[in-house]
Amino acid sequence: MVDVPTQTFRTTETGPDWDRLAATSRRDRRLKISALTVFLVAVSIPIVLPYFWMVMIAFTARTGGADADTLWTACAILVPVTLAYVVGYQALSARYRTLGLIAAILIAGALLWFFLGDDLHLNNFRFMINPNIVEDIRGAATAGGQFPWVWTAFGNSLILAGTQTVIVVTVSTLAAYYLSRFSFRGRSAFLQSLLVLQAFPAITLVIPIFLIVFWVGLLNTLYAPILVLTALELPFFIFIMKGFFDAVPWDIEMSAMTDGASRRQAFWMVVLPQVRIGMIAIGVFSFIKGWEEYIFVTALRTGNSYWVMSTYLYYVREDVMGVDYGMVAAVSLLYVMPSLVLYLFCQKYLTQMTIGGVKG
Amino acid sequence: MAQVVLKALSKSWDSVVAVDAIDLTIEDGEFAAILGPSGCGKSTTLLMLTGVYMPTGGDILFDGARVNDVESRHRNIGIVFQSYALYPNMTALQNIMFPLRFQKIPDAEVRAREIADLVQVGELLNRKPSQLSGGQQQRVALARALVKRPNLLLLDEPLSNLDATLRLTMRAEIRRITRELGVTTILVTHDQLEATTMADRVICMNAGRIEQVGTAEDLYLRPQTLFVAGFIGSPPINLIAGTVQDFILKAGSTSLQVSCATGEVTVGLRPEMLIPSEHGLAARVIHVEPMGRETLTTVDTDFGPLRLLEAVARPNWKVGDRLALAFKREDSILFGSDAQRIDGAMADLVGSVDA
Repeated sequence: MVDVPTQTFRTTETGPDWDRLAATSRRDRRLKISALTVFLVAVSIPIVLPYFWMVMIAFTARTGGADADTLWTACAILVPVTLAYVVGYQALSARYRTLGLIAAILIAGALLWFFLGDDLHLNNFRFMINPNIVEDIRGAATAGGQFPWVWTAFGNSLILAGTQTVIVVTVSTLAAYYLSRFSFRGRSAFLQSLLVLQAFPAITLVIPIFLIVFWVGLLNTLYAPILVLTALELPFFIFIMKGFFDAVPWDIEMSAMTDGASRRQAFWMVVLPQVRIGMIAIGVFSFIKGWEEYIFVTALRTGNSYWVMSTYLYYVREDVMGVDYGMVAAVSLLYVMPSLVLYLFCQKYLTQMTIGGVKG
Repeated sequence: MAQVVLKALSKSWDSVVAVDAIDLTIEDGEFAAILGPSGCGKSTTLLMLTGVYMPTGGDILFDGARVNDVESRHRNIGIVFQSYALYPNMTALQNIMFPLRFQKIPDAEVRAREIADLVQVGELLNRKPSQLSGGQQQRVALARALVKRPNLLLLDEPLSNLDATLRLTMRAEIRRITRELGVTTILVTHDQLEATTMADRVICMNAGRIEQVGTAEDLYLRPQTLFVAGFIGSPPINLIAGTVQDFILKAGSTSLQVSCATGEVTVGLRPEMLIPSEHGLAARVIHVEPMGRETLTTVDTDFGPLRLLEAVARPNWKVGDRLALAFKREDSILFGSDAQRIDGAMADLVGSVDA
């Protein structure tokens, strides 16, 4: 009944040399990984080194100069240890890798302590306990009463970043839900304008914004940068949040409403938990934007009305007598800490985020 | 438990008419299936029943009371979606108890566990939906839909995401549960097997209208429209279209005698109604498909390719074979140019050839 194939395919007499092909493929893969590692290390150096410099200077500089000896000593210790660990990582089986990491850290720590132990000190951090550090250094005549304690600036930065984060997350979540779920006149125009707004550099708006803030009477108050930054960030974050809401299936919401929930209850109980990652992500980004903001906090004050960390750092650096790099680095270190902690805690949420959607 | 009546129910968006004035009565405790291809308006009808969509015309009556303006949360409906729509942030138990959160029920958890046992997920209640298999998710969704003792249970393509074996068990399972609870159920599906196996009555929809309402047998043996004839049955019905002159439908050297005088007609013949015989319609085999229990053979005739289904596991024919096909006149179904069935009309072969 079944047609017998008239033609059969024949393999060559010897067949391919599988061992040779496998060896070639193994060698190519190893070359590729090595090349990639070298490339990534090379491009990381310009990013990693300055941060490392900052840490080293903050803990070792004594004269106020940008003394780099300790940096190179530390590099001379850390680079070989890291390389040894990388080589060991490849050679060791999985169960010994953690042990290897601990050993590497211990060895590096011991070597650093031995060679640099005498150079380490916390003197550069004295600004943290001395409210009048600048007066003490330069004398009350030059800097009297102008310069705040670092914690005042730190607190203001927290208020600025925190408040605008709360506003941005709340408003963009609600707005994005509406944009994602409801159709209304002008919806597509609205969505397009969200993106168009993002295309203009905000810096071009500094003067009009200054005038508006002045007329409204918020100049030299912390409200001004909070409101301005919120307004500038909202379009983009609304757009991102809309992507997250778009990824939540309609079925879930319809199901909740059929189950007896009102639309608002369905939103709170069922939809909002699905976009939690998006809210965390935009929260982190908007906090960091507020935390690092320099341009608008400088532009919207005319004197020393309010201080935030970025302006504090700028002022610490500014000195005709020469810069105390040790203290600049120490202030920078304090300045970096909140962002760093935030990133570390939220890292796993941030990596799950892609613009315009969630991964389940 | 409720009787559901739809009166001239319509839904349109701007110029697009999704549901076009359908009338339908579903009796208390009945299991009805709305069957149709995608885009026929069946899901829109379902969403109007839930209250998610507002009808643009007509009425929905539950036990005689008009519920058009009643919010969906007050309609006391249970629904199972194709995607199951379980709430990913809640455990299976929390999912099942969700509908009870909006009612003041003292023994909510007891009731949730009871219904979970009924659908046999009692062991899985602490798991999140992502830790459940498709079939388990389906059962949890069913429990959630049933836990508040709904007036009406709606099933939107509930089996589409399951594999074939599981689909078979869940069909029987859903039927058992709905029968046990006596709940009025409407199943929406594009799968005729799902509809005909589970439902007491099948409502066949196309392009926003109801084509035919009847039992599985009605739809298969007595389709009232050309659409139903073509949509129901797999492999599909053979359709021979042509113009009748003097009771004769002629193609090449073959003629069919039909019991209507003139005009455009379509003759429908189920593949299993065509029987190879001593003499009849000349045919040449062009394709043979063994399907296990049956064999589907495609033959070329003067009327174009026809499908022939035989209840044999080993094919009787091979490509190139010539044979003659006959059929009983009462098995033929005739449709007029308006795509409606011509009642009582039949077709018969004349001028047949020997095999």
